[in-house]
Amino acid sequence: MKKLNKIIFLSVLVSVGLALGVLESAIPLPISFPGAKLGLSNMVVLVTLVVFGFKDGITVSMLKSIVLMLVTGSVSSFIYSFSGAVLSCIAMYIAYKYFSNIFSLIGVSILGALAHNFAQVTVAAIIINNLRIYTYLPFLMLTSIFSGYFVGLASSYIERNLRGSYNII
Amino acid sequence: MTKGDKILIVIVLILSLISMGYIRRQGLSNDDKYVSIQVNGAEVKKIIFDKSVVGKKLPIETEFGYNLVEIGDNQVRVIEADCPDKIDVKQGWISRIGETIVCLPNRLVIEIKGVESVNSIDMMNY
Repeated sequence: MKKLNKIIFLSVLVSVGLALGVLESAIPLPISFPGAKLGLSNMVVLVTLVVFGFKDGITVSMLKSIVLMLVTGSVSSFIYSFSGAVLSCIAMYIAYKYFSNIFSLIGVSILGALAHNFAQVTVAAIIINNLRIYTYLPFLMLTSIFSGYFVGLASSYIERNLRGSYNII
Repeated sequence: MTKGDKILIVIVLILSLISMGYIRRQGLSNDDKYVSIQVNGAEVKKIIFDKSVVGKKLPIETEFGYNLVEIGDNQVRVIEADCPDKIDVKQGWISRIGETIVCLPNRLVIEIKGVESVNSIDMMNY
């Protein structure tokens, strides 16, 4: 029963991430960079990582990007988002596990956003076969500070409420 | 928000601003050429000459027609086209800034753009 509970909870988290991903594509951004986005669905991954641990976190993030591809229908951007999801998940886990005395969830989320951008740009450089695309990275880094900050802030509230109201693990 | 977060934000901010400034300076100082591929007046592709793009074949497929563009070492040409007269294919390589290949039936313009370097031949040479 315990395991079933967990599976249901994780799938609810995936669908919440999916809804956020669809929702954020409807929000207009003041700056129009291709590749820059709010990363609201990263919230779900961060909360899963914190509450359930690494294995479930990476499962949720991978599932989220696969299903999001099916929803939005953009297969080409799937390669970017999938690699970004995996690398940012690993980075956030390392930051949370080993440096949580230095960083709060905000710092963890900023590091995750940075890793996501780095993976995206690297994949883009491999695909279009031109290293000059790395000149794009500083702009993405700047946006990842803001998006990472808000995602981290929101996730710390979610985590507090989640730990308080459910006795999950 | 802990002290570590603030330090991280500041470090990332400084790092990105510094590299941004560095890239801008780099971009101004080297006068590269680049290939601008325009279809129907709008630029659809921009290729900066690089060792890694030499010999790359680029299919340009639009509602107006099909062209296959080959990028060489600092030069560019069209090797295949579905237009009737094939003027763009016969023109061969172009390499100098300002040179263009035009395929009117397909509304394709390939132009080499860039900052003119100082020692190239201009109108003042006799």
